Amino acid sequence: MSEELLGVRDLKTHFAVRDSSPWFGACRILKAVDGVSFGIGRGKTFGLVGESGCGKTTVGRTILRLYRPAGGEIVFGGTDLAALSEREFFPYRRRMQMIFQDPFTSLDPRQTVGEIIGAPLSIHGLAPTRAARAERVRELVGMVGLRSDHIGRYPHEFSGGQRQRIGIARALASMPEFIVCDEPVSSLDVSIQAQIINLLEEFQERFGLTYLFISHDLSVVRHISHRVGVMYLGVMVETADVDELYGNMLHPYTKSLMSAVPTADPEIAKTRRRIILEGDVPSPLDPPSGCPFRTRCREAEGVCAERNPRLTDVGSGHMVACHKVELQRKTAGETRSPSFEISK
Amino acid sequence: MNGASLLDIKNLRTSFRMSDGVVQAVRGVSLSVRRGEFLGIVGESGCGKSVTMLSVMGLLPENAAMKADVLAFDGKDLLRASPREKRSIRGDEIGMIFQDPMTSLDPLYTIGNQLMEPLRIHAKMSAREAARRAAEMLEMVGISSPASRLKQYPHEFSGGMRQRVMIAIAMSCNPKLLIADEPTTALDVTIQAQILELMKEMKEKSGTAVALITHDLGVIASVCSRVAVMYGGLIVEEGECGAIFYDPLHPYTKGLLASISGMGDGKRKKLAPIPGSPPDLMNPPDGCPFTARCAYAMKICAAASPRFTNIGGHSAACWLLRERRAA
Repeated sequence: MSEELLGVRDLKTHFAVRDSSPWFGACRILKAVDGVSFGIGRGKTFGLVGESGCGKTTVGRTILRLYRPAGGEIVFGGTDLAALSEREFFPYRRRMQMIFQDPFTSLDPRQTVGEIIGAPLSIHGLAPTRAARAERVRELVGMVGLRSDHIGRYPHEFSGGQRQRIGIARALASMPEFIVCDEPVSSLDVSIQAQIINLLEEFQERFGLTYLFISHDLSVVRHISHRVGVMYLGVMVETADVDELYGNMLHPYTKSLMSAVPTADPEIAKTRRRIILEGDVPSPLDPPSGCPFRTRCREAEGVCAERNPRLTDVGSGHMVACHKVELQRKTAGETRSPSFEISK
Repeated sequence: MNGASLLDIKNLRTSFRMSDGVVQAVRGVSLSVRRGEFLGIVGESGCGKSVTMLSVMGLLPENAAMKADVLAFDGKDLLRASPREKRSIRGDEIGMIFQDPMTSLDPLYTIGNQLMEPLRIHAKMSAREAARRAAEMLEMVGISSPASRLKQYPHEFSGGMRQRVMIAIAMSCNPKLLIADEPTTALDVTIQAQILELMKEMKEKSGTAVALITHDLGVIASVCSRVAVMYGGLIVEEGECGAIFYDPLHPYTKGLLASISGMGDGKRKKLAPIPGSPPDLMNPPDGCPFTARCAYAMKICAAASPRFTNIGGHSAACWLLRERRAA
């Protein structure tokens, strides 16, 4: 495996929320992310999947320090970002960028395309003169497939796909090493999605970019990722290399999530056995005891309600947090194989 | 083919007056929904799929203008129907489910109230009967302890639960046709699977025809028996589900299928996107709307609209399929 650019260890992000009324309700802690660990190799894509509210966006934003972590480490190129002050963190902002889900609200409607893309250049002092800045903006606009006469226009004059291209140009402006792509294609039509995905892949090859690709679309994640993590209710339940995960999923949640994805193939759709999960995701304000998935899990037993399963390596970097999987491995006599724990 | 058709649309045109021009959202759609079938209408945003069905329902806003040669539902001429007659069809014989379960229920009324309304109006049930039927419906869509749930308000339900309530409302009067406009787009995949399963089950039980509008080819493949593909305010291809997926005729359908990343193989092959973006329907192009993005476009494509060519019960509007006349 290649050198690790980003290592997240036992990351926690908590929010204080008021119960009922914004003023009089009791203050409670919402554990949006509660002990998540993973690593991303340089030049690779880590896909983070899960349903809405599972904490995947919060992970991405906490890595970029848009939220303050409540605990854990975010090691980027050898430095623990979680321990830095705002001032110390500033130089890292140039090296880490973000592409947002909604191309309609993530661009300032009162700035021209040139101003939007040029802003990171000014902020990080990357263009000494106005001419240099204009030149670089022109280059970036061309790179993402827009024309240079688009530079003076405003975001409302563009379609969703074009706006997403502007967002990508802005993220690339400061020549980052790492980009958090938070559902970058979810709001686009399928024929446009493929254009944007190809663009992201092209830039990864060209600039050696590392991506954290957050999405609820499992087929897009399979296409673009090298390694994938599945989140449920603030914790990572399974992570593995992409082919291993999609070919040999072990966690019951991963299995049901995958089987719920509709395939664009009527024959397969007819014959395939789907696991239909019952009920909804529990509230993260009031998570179940033990394994967070046990309330919807078919295989849940007594132990699942008592202890939280640990993310354990089951071989070749495939990690699962499930008591049942652990038990099966023990009875199969595989206890001798090295298994180390990541979280405390 | 017309013998079994429940809804007949011929040459439907719907346009919207805007401050800066007229948007021709639907530009001559002919479609029929057969009794008891599961029809999928697929297309990208702005292709006119929702507007087609809103026109049928008579739910267009003030600034819309609609014309059609035929618009008939179950032998009744909807073009000549009075508002009163339309009202009696809506909600009774045609049920509708909308995309956003968060905004399609009234937050000020209880679930029970909203479920009982169509029963009281259309089925003329007494309050007690309606309450009993409403509880039954909730149970049928898989909501536990329905009697107490009836007294709750929409905000006490999750997204998936609200969509179940919407289905219960739409199905409560045993409609002959259920129009579902992107019913699962706002939901997570595991909840989407629940709702699709429920819709299939309800259709099987009641024999209701379903017209499912979606942009998701995966959803189409898992539930629909027949598919209509729309682009630029027109239907470009129509056929059995298998034919559309395994033997697409129109270059747009082919492009759409090539641009999705399947779950099937894990090969990191390059996606083949369709270049460009859909046409501006304020100034719709002459001829085939797909010409500007089509790899096979010919001179004639931009000049004249292709008519449907039927190949074994599966048809598409494309010049490539017309037999060339000898010069």
